[in-house]
Amino acid sequence: MLGFLSARQAGLDDPLHLRRAESTRRVLGLELNKDRDVERIHGSGVNTLDIEPVEGRYMLSGGSDGVIVLYDLENSSRQPYYTCKAVCSVGRSHPDVHKYSVETVQWYPHDTGMFTSSSFDKTLKIWDTNTLQTADVFHFEETVYSHHMSPVATKHCLVAVGTRGPKVQLCDLKSGSCSHILQGHRQEILAVSWSPRYEFILATARSGKSRQRRYKFNVINYLKRVNYGKICNDSRKGLKFTVSCGCSSEFVFVPYGSTIAVYTVYSGEQITMLKGHYKSVDCCVFQPNFQELYSGSRDCNILAWIPALYEPVPDDNEATAKSQLNPAFEDAWSSSDEEG
Amino acid sequence: MDQRLSVLVEDLTTSGEPQLDPEKMKELKKICKSSEEQLRHAYHLLMTQLTQEHAEVRLSAFQVVAALFTRSHQFRLLVVSNFQEFLELTLGTDHEQPLPPPREVAQKLRRAAIQAVEAWNEKFGEAYKKLALGYHFLRHNKQVDFQDINARTLAERKREAEKQRRLDSIYRERAKQAGAEMEEMSEEVRSCLTEVESCFQLLVPFDFATSPGVPGEDAFPSTSLCPAAPGLQDEELPCCSKDLPAFPLPLQADDGSGDLSDEEQDEFVRSHGLGSHKYMLGLELHPGDVVLQETEDNRAVVHSARDALKLIRNKFLPSVCSWVQLFTRAGIHDQRLRRAIELKTELEAAVRKYKELNIKPQEGPGRLTTFLEDGSEDEEEEFVEVPEKEGYEPHIPDHLRTEYGLDPPAAPVQILKKDPPEGLVAQGVHLRTRTRRDEEASDPTSAAAQLRLLRDRLPPPASTSSSQEPDEAQKLAAERARAPVVPFGVDLCYWGQEQPVTGKILKADSQHRFWKPSEVDEEVDNADVSEMLRSRHITFAGRFEPVQHRCRALRPDGRLCERQDRLKCPFHGKIVPRDDQGQPLNPEDRAREQRQQLQRQTEHPDWQDPEFMRDVEAAAGVDLGSSRCSGKGKGKGKKRKYPNLTDLKKQADTARARIGKKVFDKAAVRRVVTAMNQMDQKKHEKFANQFNYALN
Repeated sequence: MLGFLSARQAGLDDPLHLRRAESTRRVLGLELNKDRDVERIHGSGVNTLDIEPVEGRYMLSGGSDGVIVLYDLENSSRQPYYTCKAVCSVGRSHPDVHKYSVETVQWYPHDTGMFTSSSFDKTLKIWDTNTLQTADVFHFEETVYSHHMSPVATKHCLVAVGTRGPKVQLCDLKSGSCSHILQGHRQEILAVSWSPRYEFILATARSGKSRQRRYKFNVINYLKRVNYGKICNDSRKGLKFTVSCGCSSEFVFVPYGSTIAVYTVYSGEQITMLKGHYKSVDCCVFQPNFQELYSGSRDCNILAWIPALYEPVPDDNEATAKSQLNPAFEDAWSSSDEEG
Repeated sequence: MDQRLSVLVEDLTTSGEPQLDPEKMKELKKICKSSEEQLRHAYHLLMTQLTQEHAEVRLSAFQVVAALFTRSHQFRLLVVSNFQEFLELTLGTDHEQPLPPPREVAQKLRRAAIQAVEAWNEKFGEAYKKLALGYHFLRHNKQVDFQDINARTLAERKREAEKQRRLDSIYRERAKQAGAEMEEMSEEVRSCLTEVESCFQLLVPFDFATSPGVPGEDAFPSTSLCPAAPGLQDEELPCCSKDLPAFPLPLQADDGSGDLSDEEQDEFVRSHGLGSHKYMLGLELHPGDVVLQETEDNRAVVHSARDALKLIRNKFLPSVCSWVQLFTRAGIHDQRLRRAIELKTELEAAVRKYKELNIKPQEGPGRLTTFLEDGSEDEEEEFVEVPEKEGYEPHIPDHLRTEYGLDPPAAPVQILKKDPPEGLVAQGVHLRTRTRRDEEASDPTSAAAQLRLLRDRLPPPASTSSSQEPDEAQKLAAERARAPVVPFGVDLCYWGQEQPVTGKILKADSQHRFWKPSEVDEEVDNADVSEMLRSRHITFAGRFEPVQHRCRALRPDGRLCERQDRLKCPFHGKIVPRDDQGQPLNPEDRAREQRQQLQRQTEHPDWQDPEFMRDVEAAAGVDLGSSRCSGKGKGKGKKRKYPNLTDLKKQADTARARIGKKVFDKAAVRRVVTAMNQMDQKKHEKFANQFNYALN
C-alpha cells in the first residue's frame, strides 16, 4: 500500500494501478462486518437486489412475497456503525404491489427516477421512484423469470423479458408495447442479459445448461467461456450472480447453497466461500464504489459484506490495546491451573 | 499431546453419560488453554463428533463445545464461523437431517442447545455478528420459542394446537349429544327415582333418609345402653320384627329402677310377669343387621324396588356417569353439569339405601331367579341368566352319579324285557348300553322314552330272571359280559330268520298287451344278496401299538434324543439300538455315524459363510456360532466399541420389531410367495379352458 502510494506520489505508476490494487485487496478481504447492517423489512426470502449505477447509493430488493424495498446504502452519520435504512417500500398494502414473488428488479440505467420489476404474477411493472407508483405495466402469458435493460444502450429502450415460455420478448418502453419476439429456446428462459459493451447483444440462458444464444444485430462478440465447475442450484429459478468491477483481475460472486462462492472470472479458480446465511442465497450484488457486496437469501436477511479493516497494530503496551477491544473477545480461562 | 487430546475428546463424547467427567474436562481445558493450535484441533475433533449419528455422542460433544465456547475467543470464532452447521447438528434446523436417535437424548440436546444459543447471544451477540444472525434466524425464521420448555418449532406447536382443537370440537359435540340425551332421559330417571323412593317409603315407614348417618360403630355399642335406646328404636322396629311392641318398656324399667319405691317395683315386676327387676337386657346391634324380610305382603313392593334398582344400576347410573365425564372433559361447567351431578348423587343414594335395607329374600319354594338374585346383590351382574338345564338336573344318570359324589343306585336287578323288535338287540346288550338307554329315556323325544311309556302301560311281564336258577342266571350274566358289542346292522335285523323274499330278484313280466317275452324265471334266487343280508364285513386293521423305543442319539447338549419315531428319526436318521452314551451298539452303525460327522464338519452349507454369519451376529447380537465355523478366523470381532453408549440397533427390540422379524423373514416371505403363486396357478387351472385366461 505504502509502496503504491509512494510510486503514485512519484508519478511512477498509472493512477489506475493503485486503485486496482487497493480494490482487489478490499474485495479479497470481504467479510461479514458487525458495523454494517441492513434493516430487516422483508418477511420472506429476498429474491433479487439491484444497486443503481449512477451513484451507487440506492439499492432495490425484491422479496418473494411481492414486496419491493428501496435502501439507502450511504453512511452519512460519521459513525463506524451504520444500518442501511429503508427509504421507502412497496408493501403488501400498496395498491400496485406485485401479487406474487418478485423475481427481478432493475434500476433504469441512466437515472434513479425509474425502475422496473417483474414478478411471478406475469407482469413487468415500470415504477416511478419518486411517487412510487406504476408508470406502466406489461402483461405476459407466462410467469416472468427475468428481465433486463441494456446498461449502455442509448439508441433503444428495450427490456428483454424471459418467461416460462420459450420466447424472449422485447418490450419497448417508448411505445409501451412488445416490439419483438425472439425464438430459439425450447424451454423456459431463466436469465436474459444485454451485453455491457455492445448495444445490441442479448444473451439468454436456461439454468444448468451452458446454452447461450447470442442475438446479434451488427457485431459478433467474442465470448470466452470459462468453466467454473459445478454450481449447485436446487431451486428451479435462476440465481443472480454478480461480477466485481475495478479490480485487477475481476471476481465473480456466485450464490452456492447457503454460501457465496468467489471465483476469479478468467481462470475460474475458486478463491473463497462467504458463509453467513442460514438458508440458500438467491442473489448478490456488488457495489463498485466501496467494494461492498450485498446478498439476499431465503432466510429474509440481506447481508452486507464489507472489506475488512486493517487490524489495529498492537502497540507496545498490550494492556491498553486489549482494553479497547470488545470485552466479549477476551478469553475467560480460569486463572488457576487446577481449575482448568 | 495431540494423541492425548483426541483420546480425551473421544472418551468424553462416547461416555454416554448425561454429564461430562469433570476430571477429563479439566484436562481437556488445560490442553486447549496451552495453545491455539490445540484449540483448533479440539474444535475439529468436536465437530467430527457432532456429526456422529448418535444423540448421546452429540450431546456430550455439545457440552464440551459449550464449556469451551464461554472460555475462549478463538474457539468462539471457530464455532461462529461455522454456525449454520453447528445449528443443524445440535438443533436439527435442517428438516432433511433431523437429530439422530435415541429420541429422549435428542430432545435433551435440543433443549440444551437452544438455551445455550440464547445465553450466548445475550453475552456475545453484539461482538459476533453471525451469532446474532443465527439467533435472529432461529427466532424469526424457524420461530423457535426460546421460552418454550420443549423447544418445539412452529410446525410442531401448530400440529399440537390443531390436535387439541379437533379433540375439543369432538368433546363439545359429544357433550351436546349428552345434553340432549340427558334432556330426554332425565324424565325417566326422575320417575324411576320416585318409584324407588316410594317403594322405600312403603317398606320402611319412617324417614329412612336421616338414618344413614346413624349407623356407625360408635352409635351402636354392642352392649345395651339405655340412653342410646331411643335412637335405636327407629332402626330396630321395622327391621327386626314387628312383634316386639313392648321393647322400650324394660329399658324404662331399667332406667328408673333407682327412683321407684319397692311397691311400685313389685307391682311393676308383677305386672310384667318378671321374677325380679334386676334383669339386664342385653341388646346386640350391628349396623349391618338391618334386615328386611321379604314376605308375601311386601313382595310386590320389593320386586318393583328391585327392578327399578336394577334399571338404575345397569342403565341410568352408567349413562349419568358418562355425562358427567363428558361435560367435564368438554369444559362445560353450567347448569347441565350441575344437573347431571345432582342426578348422579341421587341415584347413588338410592342404590346405597337399597343396600342398607338389606332385603332378605323370601325363603322356601321361591323362584329360582329370586334365589339367584338375592343374597348376593352385589355380584348380581356376574350372574348370567341361563336356561334351567345348566345348573339343575332333576335326574342324574346312573353312570354319572359317581361324578356328582352320589351313591350309586341300587344294583339293577331287573333286566328289561325287550319288545319283539328289540329282542334281538337285547341279546348282546351290555349293561352300559342299558344305562345309555336310561339316559335316553329321560329325553322325551327319544325312542327309549316312548318305549318306557309303552312298558309302563303294559302289564308287567312275568319275570324271567326269577324263574331261572340263580347259578344259571349267573352264567348267563357272565356270558353276556363276555359277548362282544357290535353296532346294529342288517345282519342283526334278520338274525335267525329265514327270509324267503329277500335275496330273490323278482322280474316283472311284461305289461304289453300282445308282445310277451319268452318264458323267464320270475324269481331268481341270488345267493350273494341273501348272504349279504346275513353276514357282516369286519375289516381288521390291526391294533395300534405305541412305540416303546426312543431314538437315543446323542444331542449336542449332551442329552439323548427323546423322539419316539417308529423307524427313522428326522434328526438322527435310522433308529438303531444305542448304549447309554448314545453310541450305536453295532460297529458298522458306529462307523457310519462317524463318517457322517466328519463329512459334516468339513463342509459348511453356503449360508454359513463366515463373513455373512458375523454380519448377522453383529446385527442380531446373538452368537450363531460363526467363530466355531471359521477355524482360523480372527475370532469374534471387537465387542462393541463404546459400551457406554446406548445401542441404537438394540433399541429396535420392540414387539413390532420382533413380529416384523418373523413376518419379513426371508423364509416366511418365500412361503407366502409360493402360496400366493399356487393360488394364482389354481385360478389359472380353473379357467384354463378359457382362452383369455389360458394366455397369461
